[in-house]
Amino acid sequence: MMISYRSLTLRHKMCDNPKCVNVLTKTEKEDFMEKQVLTTCPYCASGCQLYLNVKDGKIVSATPANGRTNEGNLCLKGHYGWDYLNDPQILTKRLTKPQIRKNGVLEEVEWDEAISYTAKRLLEIKEKYGPDSIMGTGCARGSGNEANYVMQKFMRAAVGTNNIDHCARVCHAPSVAGLAYTVGSGAMSLSIPEIEDSKLLFVIGYNPAESHPIVARRIVKAKQKGAKIIVADPRITETARIADMHLPLKGGSNLALVQAMGNVIIAEGLVDKKFIDAHTVGYEEYKKTVEKYTPEYVESICKLPAETIRQAAREYAKAERAAILWGMGVCQFGQAVDVVKGLASLAFLTGNFGGPSMGVGPVRGQNNVQGGCDMGALPNCYSGYQNVTDDAAREKFEKAWGVKLPKEIGITLTQVPQHVLGIKDEKKRLHAYYIFGEDPGQSDPDLHDMREALDKLDFVVMQDIYMNKTGLKADVILPATAWGEHEGVYSAADRGFQLMRKAVEPKGDVKTDWEIICLISTAMGYPMSYKNTKEIWDEMRSLTPSFYGATYEKLEALGSVQWPCTDVSMEDKGTSYLHKDGKFAHPDGKGKFFATEWRAPGEIEDAQYPYTLSTVREVGHYSVRTMTGNCRTLSNLEDEPGWIQMSPIDCEKLNVKEGELIRVSSRRGSVITRVKPTERVMEGATYMTYQWWIGACNELTVPYLDPVSNTPESKYCAIKLEKIEDQAWAEQYVKDSYESIRKNMGIDTEEKGCRI
Amino acid sequence: MNYFVKGNPDLCIGCRTCMIGCVVAHEGTKIFQMKPGEYVFNPKIDVVKTATITMPVQCKHCENPACMNACTVKAIEIVDNAVVVSQDKCIGCKTCMIACPFGAIDMVLASDDSKQLDGSDRVVANKCDLCTGVEGGPACIRVCPTAALKLVTEEEVGTYISNKRTAAAISLAQVKE
Repeated sequence: MMISYRSLTLRHKMCDNPKCVNVLTKTEKEDFMEKQVLTTCPYCASGCQLYLNVKDGKIVSATPANGRTNEGNLCLKGHYGWDYLNDPQILTKRLTKPQIRKNGVLEEVEWDEAISYTAKRLLEIKEKYGPDSIMGTGCARGSGNEANYVMQKFMRAAVGTNNIDHCARVCHAPSVAGLAYTVGSGAMSLSIPEIEDSKLLFVIGYNPAESHPIVARRIVKAKQKGAKIIVADPRITETARIADMHLPLKGGSNLALVQAMGNVIIAEGLVDKKFIDAHTVGYEEYKKTVEKYTPEYVESICKLPAETIRQAAREYAKAERAAILWGMGVCQFGQAVDVVKGLASLAFLTGNFGGPSMGVGPVRGQNNVQGGCDMGALPNCYSGYQNVTDDAAREKFEKAWGVKLPKEIGITLTQVPQHVLGIKDEKKRLHAYYIFGEDPGQSDPDLHDMREALDKLDFVVMQDIYMNKTGLKADVILPATAWGEHEGVYSAADRGFQLMRKAVEPKGDVKTDWEIICLISTAMGYPMSYKNTKEIWDEMRSLTPSFYGATYEKLEALGSVQWPCTDVSMEDKGTSYLHKDGKFAHPDGKGKFFATEWRAPGEIEDAQYPYTLSTVREVGHYSVRTMTGNCRTLSNLEDEPGWIQMSPIDCEKLNVKEGELIRVSSRRGSVITRVKPTERVMEGATYMTYQWWIGACNELTVPYLDPVSNTPESKYCAIKLEKIEDQAWAEQYVKDSYESIRKNMGIDTEEKGCRI
Repeated sequence: MNYFVKGNPDLCIGCRTCMIGCVVAHEGTKIFQMKPGEYVFNPKIDVVKTATITMPVQCKHCENPACMNACTVKAIEIVDNAVVVSQDKCIGCKTCMIACPFGAIDMVLASDDSKQLDGSDRVVANKCDLCTGVEGGPACIRVCPTAALKLVTEEEVGTYISNKRTAAAISLAQVKE
């Protein structure tokens, strides 16, 4: 029925929030006849709450819910990103049956065979080369906290190694390490909702409009409420655009800038001496190290005027309460942990800890990358950051799990290629890799090495929801349920535990991740079995004091509980901000200052490779794109081969125009992508998003790692750009490559059709 | 008076949720059951980015629409306070596209799957219709996560002008002759 426009506008006026569920339209209501399921969004770590509207056993739409962080708002991924559950097969195909590689070819098998074969091979390798020859991953995406807890328990108790890590390694591991050193707790000190009440936001190496639109919303609101915004980023990001000050620093100069700001704050007497004396240690050494980092000294490193740095430092120091937000632009550098420590030190200097809307905000990227860390899918700790080298903690877990546990810290995700390819001694090498919910064949730096490592490993297990590049190299494929098909808990970026709920029945012969791991563990002689995720969660809580109070009942009642939450009573509603009254999470309660010498990036541009490349995000796509790349409308907006953002000056120099295909090469590889001229990037710098499979920028990136966190320098490498004269050939190449990727992923491309 | 949707560059974060919201509102949720190549994806709103500006651009629903006046087949009319293209009548002559001073009209494949007599695709004018006939009002406004889009009605224009005049009176009163 057509409704006149007057009645529509009347409706708009009747309700303050046009998005509230009460204004569901009649047709929408008809769509929802079956049920509405409240859950947590599976994309970025903003932790948005939404309703999945289900009809005939299929999700038909999503409606924003009034969650703690999203307040009835969703971005495009939240609104339309559920579509992959309907398996439209745009990029890859849903896995629906276990597979084993027999005579080089993946063949479908029954679960019994897949489980017993996997257990047998892992046991053989363990026997022959020892438990440390096996590596496992956690999953920062749809699987949830319970599956991660079970996985790290499996690796430690059943296999007997601490070789467990996950993709936090390639993103916020420096934040975890840097903050553990300085404040004792590797997470956002403030909450996402608190951002809008800060008086000053210092946003460095972080583009929330692309990576967390719902966090970007809080920054916009902060600005509307009068907060000052300072952005340090080589690009004009959306936040830089609305900022009071934009510092377009040279890529790779973060530490120089951060220490120069510390230098100014000290030199101009803007320090909070009372806070420093009462709550921190190491100020004198810090002061000594940053002494030489005058704004004039770093001018040539940062390519910023000294006066601009001075002004930014003064504004930051003067603000009544200031928060620092950062993302991959801080973390994906060879000197990342030092910068994180430097940022925490700025907050110490100015007393910006102890209350709400201040402190440090490493905004986690993936929906459950905080959870992967929380649950101990890390080589150095159990759930709740209890160290494997701490005898008391280890003994507690040994007692609970009834088995002796290893105390040596395991190897990290980014060390896998080196531990497969670079070690001659058979006994010391990695021989098996159990990859759970990750795609190192796409997401890790220098893909060439990674693929070689996957080829050389004796045994690769891939447990996922979609076929992916890693699956092509796997010996066993174990198909799991996806978000929307199982229950569990996710941890949002600001430490908020939230429930995700099952909305639809999975199609195909698939099992939940934790069930699969339990079956393999049992077959390997370490029995594990749970009735449901709640039982796993309760076991985890009983061993983890800082999460003990966050029961399912409490999550159900409150919607979201931020750790630490130590008491099960409803009185303990969790912790919205950390380090209350300046008490830090170290045994002595003191924050630790840190400063060191700045180092240049590992690979600098030269005559042969004259441009720099940084990898960035595309707002409508997520991670390795197996989810969003299989969502209809999201892939309509952006699809292969992706773009390279370039300065219009460079475009003119190379005689290339918007949309033209161009060849991008580094010392490690070469790909084709489309030219996107934009005045928002500086001359000589380029940016590519890492979701694309044809324009895969990780073919180009450098495996240069931070020495502490082993995080790769994805934000800086040297490349060259070459115009492609024969554009028709290049267009055909893109088309053929896409077709071949889809075929490789198991899609019947004739039947499913192709759009590009 | 015709209504229009106003974009605010201070609030817009360039996420383009509005563009998908527009397509889903016009094509219906049935597209989520179709093969990826079978439906059309024609947003009637575009997020424009320059070095310092990000904002959605769409039809202003002019009171004296250049597009409507230029249309030779009377395919553009005012319906319920909105300037609307009737895709059935459109012959795809592009005159409206050229006439529009905002670039708010583009030429796209007809979304109703209609073909020309020779079986070839029909290309027609595509522009914002303020979601006429869509319950709940303009989808772009409803889905925007930062409330960067606002429906401007006659009443709101009235309030806006009256507020501005009050502010003007206050500031002008300061000026002593």
